[in-house]
Parts: sequence; structure tokens; C-alpha cells
Amino acid sequence: MKKTIFLILCYSSILIAQSVDKQKEVNLFSPSNIKKFADYLFCSHDYLRAALEYQRYLSTNHNDTVSYKIAIANSKIGNYSKAAKLFTSIDHKSHFFSDAQLEYYKALFQDEDYFELRNDIINADSSNQFLHSPRAKKLFYFSYLFTNDSLPSENQFLSPFDGTDFQRVKDFYNWKEAPPYKSSLVAGILAAIIPGLGKFYVKEYSDGVFAFLATAALGYLSYTDFKAGHDIRGWVFGGVAAGFYAGNIYGSIAAAQIYNVKIQFDFVNSLKIFLNAQDFFIPEIKFCR
Amino acid sequence: MKLFLCFFILLSTIIFAQTDWQKWGKANYSYALKDNFKKRELSFDAKNPGRFVLKSLLDSYWFFISDVDGDNCAFSPTCSNFFLQSVSKTNLVQGTLMFFDRFTRDMDFIAKIDFYPRVPDGHFYDPISLYTLNKNEINYIPPSVVVNNE
Repeated sequence: MKKTIFLILCYSSILIAQSVDKQKEVNLFSPSNIKKFADYLFCSHDYLRAALEYQRYLSTNHNDTVSYKIAIANSKIGNYSKAAKLFTSIDHKSHFFSDAQLEYYKALFQDEDYFELRNDIINADSSNQFLHSPRAKKLFYFSYLFTNDSLPSENQFLSPFDGTDFQRVKDFYNWKEAPPYKSSLVAGILAAIIPGLGKFYVKEYSDGVFAFLATAALGYLSYTDFKAGHDIRGWVFGGVAAGFYAGNIYGSIAAAQIYNVKIQFDFVNSLKIFLNAQDFFIPEIKFCR
Repeated sequence: MKLFLCFFILLSTIIFAQTDWQKWGKANYSYALKDNFKKRELSFDAKNPGRFVLKSLLDSYWFFISDVDGDNCAFSPTCSNFFLQSVSKTNLVQGTLMFFDRFTRDMDFIAKIDFYPRVPDGHFYDPISLYTLNKNEINYIPPSVVVNNE
């Protein structure tokens, strides 16, 4: 029995033993393997490590595709300013030059550097076909929706857009031109007329109901106490009712301000969702299957 | 085969059977004060007479009423803390108005979920910066977000 076990152990070690063939030994750090690994990381959306591996590859080789992919990887991980610099460094003889130009504007846009974006496009040479392409124009006009600068005319603004985008962009334009803000003054006046009405105006309905109930109930208690000759209680309830009344006017003004910030937030959010869905009007080159 | 199946079903029933002693066992409830109560600063501020009076009243309220009553305010900061912070940040009149508005919103038990984000302990986050009437201080946070206000 012992012999059998011994034999099995020996036999299994031979079977599982690693065979080291010096001649076939793979150099994992050869440039081609570094690139393969970087490609794998890039396609696995591990852009930070992919950029580092591509950078290592570039230290020994020159490759336009790799330079372009480093810029894309930086853009993907949110290093927009670095990505913009890398896109500008793509050689004009490169196959990726035209895409790099557009990606540069996309990176500026994502970096919220709208002034630089517009300035570059406005000052661009009229022969520069990339900067006068509809895609660049779309980004150019769309940037106005994110700033407080005066909007171009509607026709001018909508000129690069067509198809399904058109109506959506038109809605955004109309929103920006006349945002559906609520007036703090109106909210305050409404709350002064009927407690709670100001909150109704800013669509905080249940707050409005509770403000009305609190003020009305305490006011009624104060009234009945004065009527019954309980002056001290009357003053106490009256004072608290006055506090709720004044607090509601103040709260309605504050609520109108918060409402405006909220709808501005929602607007910017929907712009970003739309832009991401449209890939910033600049479709990416598909490097991965 | 039938015997095996029968045995298997019986065995699985035993394995997945509900243990009633766990379900109906005694709940371990702690009556110790929660951390947010322990963090309360009950010191007096004697530099400013108005603040001294206000802080004394709030300290008394916290010590004799609120801590005994338990963690009942739905908001973070709590209404009493909100009052103290709003008076410190603005002035007595504006702070009092902010407090009355907060108290009205606290009474509203219907729409809180739709309006306020939460802090990790489940309270609704409602900082004073939203209500000072300074537009630049309003930092809107959607209700779906959990805010870490530590």
C-alpha cells in the first residue's frame, strides 16, 4: 500500500511538473507584448493602466495609433486638459489628425473650457475644414447652453442640427432662452395673502397645506382665547401663529430660489445625458471589437 | 429511487426549516444614548449675551427634553441645531424666521422623501445654507443622493 502511494505521488509530480524550455521562454516585456497588454487593458476600459502601458511602449517605439489611444484614455478617465494637450500633439501627417482635432474640441468641452473652444473655432482659418465641420459647429453652439453668455439667434443656433436631434436641441434652446423660473417676489406675496400659497406656487404642495393648517389652527386658538378672556394664552398662540405666518413668507421666498436652482440643475443634467448619448456629436473610433 | 427522493426532500425540509426560537427570540435593545446625542456641545458661550441666552435655552431643551424624548427629528441638522446655526449665521430675526419655516417643513410628513437627500443614518439632509436667501450658497443635492455630512 505504501509503495502504491509513493508511486502515485512520484508519477503525479512528473505529470504536473512545469517544463521550462529556455528556447521558448517568452519575454513578457517585449514592446509587442506591452502593446498587446495595453490593448487588452484599453478594451477592458482600464484606461489609466492602459495609458501607462502605452506610454511605456512609446518610450521605445513611435506609433500614431498608440499616441491617439493615450489621449483617448486620458479623456476617458477625466484628465480632459491633459487629453486636449495630447490631441494637439498628434502630427498633421497622421491618419488620426482629423479625428484628433475634433476630439480636442470634445476634450475642451468636457473640461468646461467653453471660452477656449469658441475662441479657437471663431479664430480658425476658413480653410480649416475640421473646425468648420457640422460636428465642431454643433459643439460650438451647444456650449452656449452651459454658460450665461447671450445666445445666438435661433436659426443660427439650430443650423448644424438635423433629424432627430433638431427638436430636442430646439427645446433646450427655448428653455435656455426663457427658463421656467419662479419669482421669489411672487412666492412671498402669495404666501402673505394666504399662508401656504407661496409653497403651492413653487410646487411644494404638502408644505403649503401644513403651513396653512399651522397658521390657521394657531390663529383660531388665539382668537378663541381672546374671545374667552384668556389674554395671555391669546398672546402666546397669536405670537406663534405670527411666527408661522412670517416664517412661511420667508420660506416661500427661499423655496422659490431653491426651485430655480433645482430646475437649472435638472436642465444641465439633461443636457449632459443628451450629450453623452450623442457622444458629444463626435463618434469614437472603435478600436475594440 | 423513491426512497432516495423522499429522504432528500425530508432532509432539505429540515435544513431550510424556520427556527422559531430565532424569529420570536428576545430583541436586544440598547437604551444607551446614540452617537449624535453624545456629540452635542452643551457648553455656554458667554462672549455674546444674546447667544448666551439662546444657547442656555437650547442646552436646557436638549438636556431636559430632547435627549429624554429620543431621536425624533427627521432632519439633519435637527430643528434645534438648525435654529442655533441659522441665528449664528444670520441674525436673531432671520434665524427665527428660518426656524419657523423649518418647523413647518418638519410637520409635513408626506413629501420629505421626494425633496431631501439623506445622511447615512437615515435623516433628511437640510442644511441652513439653502435658506439664507443667498443664491450663491444654494448647493442643490438631488434626493437620490446619500450625503456624508461628517
